[in-house]
Amino acid sequence: MVPLTHIMALAGVLFFLGAICVVVRRNVLFILIGVEIMLNAAGLTFVAASLRWGAPEGQIFVLFLMAMAASEVSVGLALVVYAHRRKKSVDVDDFNEMKD
Amino acid sequence: MTSYVPYILLLPIAGAAFNILAGRALPRRAVEAVAVFAVFGSCVFAVMALYGMTGPVDVMLFDWISFGSFTAPFTARLDAISATMAVMVTGVSTLIHIYSVGYMADDDGYVRFFALMNLFVFSMLTLVLAGNLPLMYLGWEGVGFCSYGLIGFWYQDTEKATAGRKAFIVTRVGDVAFGVAVIWLYQLTGQTAIAAINQSAQVIPAATVTAIGLLLLFGATGKSAQLPLTVWLPDAMAGPTPVSALIHAATMVTAGVYLLMRMYPLISLSGTAMAAIAAVGALTAFYAATSALGQTDIKRVLAYSTISQIGYMVMGVGAGAVAGPLFHLFSHAFFKALLFLGAGYVIKAMHEEQDIFKMGGLMYRTPLVFVCFLSGALALAAVPGTSGFFSKDEILSAAFNNGSAFYTCIWAIGELTAFITTVYALRLVYLVFTGESKKTPAHVSGLMDYTLIPLALLSLAGGAINAPESWGGGTKLSEALISQGLAPRQFEGGSFGLQALAVLITVAGFATVHYLYAVNPKLREDMAARQAGLMAFLKDGWGLDRLYHAAFVAPYTAASRFLWRDFDEGLIDDSLDNLALATAKVGTWMRSSVTGRMSTYLVSVFLGAAALLAFFAIR
Repeated sequence: MVPLTHIMALAGVLFFLGAICVVVRRNVLFILIGVEIMLNAAGLTFVAASLRWGAPEGQIFVLFLMAMAASEVSVGLALVVYAHRRKKSVDVDDFNEMKD
Repeated sequence: MTSYVPYILLLPIAGAAFNILAGRALPRRAVEAVAVFAVFGSCVFAVMALYGMTGPVDVMLFDWISFGSFTAPFTARLDAISATMAVMVTGVSTLIHIYSVGYMADDDGYVRFFALMNLFVFSMLTLVLAGNLPLMYLGWEGVGFCSYGLIGFWYQDTEKATAGRKAFIVTRVGDVAFGVAVIWLYQLTGQTAIAAINQSAQVIPAATVTAIGLLLLFGATGKSAQLPLTVWLPDAMAGPTPVSALIHAATMVTAGVYLLMRMYPLISLSGTAMAAIAAVGALTAFYAATSALGQTDIKRVLAYSTISQIGYMVMGVGAGAVAGPLFHLFSHAFFKALLFLGAGYVIKAMHEEQDIFKMGGLMYRTPLVFVCFLSGALALAAVPGTSGFFSKDEILSAAFNNGSAFYTCIWAIGELTAFITTVYALRLVYLVFTGESKKTPAHVSGLMDYTLIPLALLSLAGGAINAPESWGGGTKLSEALISQGLAPRQFEGGSFGLQALAVLITVAGFATVHYLYAVNPKLREDMAARQAGLMAFLKDGWGLDRLYHAAFVAPYTAASRFLWRDFDEGLIDDSLDNLALATAKVGTWMRSSVTGRMSTYLVSVFLGAAALLAFFAIR
């Protein structure tokens, strides 16, 4: 059986890569993809922990997580389409009106 | 006669109130008439009260202060000292008010002037008639306020306004000592009434009596411009000349002496306090007389002369006399008011010129003023037969007959000062009235010269109120004071030896002035040129003003500047400013993190989450 620490390390690397993607990318689509990767890294941790301690709640939680990710992507993409209509851009730097 | 007493006080305050409230709406003549008749009426009542007086009597007007055992009713005490003082104050005030009508004829501030003058007369009468010390203090501060308002009467002139403030502040230094003495005496005796305090003075320990005597002396030096608080009086000449005559010669400045005479039964218990009083008086008399020699401004000569003559009065009290100083107070009030009013006339006639070296030859142009001014100067110079001769003789006799070596020194200083007095008094007459005239006199109101006549008569013949028996007088004033227990029985003036010496001194002074100013003026000019440093020193009043400026004013200004510039602005303001600036800087620095980019916020979220996790992991 694969040790928990290995899975945790993989999940950590995935989460870190997702976070880098969210922070560094300017394109809003890539940012959404980064968010998905981070969510899946968290799901991986849940599954691993469920297996380790023999608790089924972790696996149930991942099902919720998938449902949430699917709805998040649909709402997020709808927002991206709407935002693209307004500014003809999917670059997040064009949407910095919160600053002033 | 007690029924007259309230009116003595009521009329001047009513006149002042009337002119303050309604004066602006009335024609000029009405304002002047109200002011003059208020004081004149007060004078009539004072005379009637004096003639009706059979013995000391208290007249309570109303309850003023009363809490617990501390009571200070508004009580007028009428006795030989206060009744004669009241007559003198109101009498001289009446003449000076009439003179002022002429003097202020071209001035627009006449309502304020006459209101303040009437208020002054009321305050002075309160001081004189006060039956208890708190009430006397009220009058004391009242005259101080009026003096301040009238010195700075032409307040748009910075120099004059400053002179008013200086007078107020310097006299206030002495007032504090007087205030402390009043409270201390109440604490010791449980009394506020002057007569009661004097009666219970025996129970106070000797050292305490000395301390209180010195406090009262210091209070007196402030109001009466004695050393060390002389400096305000020469500057007080910035006020209108009638004010100088009334307040800064005849009445208010004698308040200090009056206080000492009132408290005489108490003060006389302490030999140390008496010696200090005599020394202060004698030194002031000498200091001011020499300073008067160096002055060129006619009013400053008279101001220093006033300081010097009050020095004589203080010295007389210190030598154990009360009647003598009171007598000199009266004769001085007459001749010095006369000299000031004469000086006011001369200044007007000379087109506002005050330098005596630019005057001259007025003898034939204004003969009436010359004769009056001369009689005032002769009384000041103590020419035999004039009022000043008898009164000064009494004071010097008191010092001479005291016996001890200390008082003999005091007497010697007094005699030396008498010579200097003769010289500066006659110098004034020679410079102003003799020689060739340098200007054509201007027209001056008739009210201003005719009011001089009664004062001139009083200066010449006023000695009759207390002339010694050898001159056919009955020493009436002394007898009245002694019979009411207000003055000790003492050696009276009129001894042949001292009077002969006084005559000799006057003749020597007259001869000196005549030689230097009429026969051989060249010699005087040479002497003055050779002793230019000395003359400047005397003109400067021995540099006392500059000494005080260096010792008190300059350090105070420096301390104020330090507290203002370095402490308040430098420390408090700057530290607050810097705190605000630093906060603003931190804010600006922190604001740079607000980029408006999602990624920046996310990085901080991740860093924060990482820090939290690290914290929990390590713990």
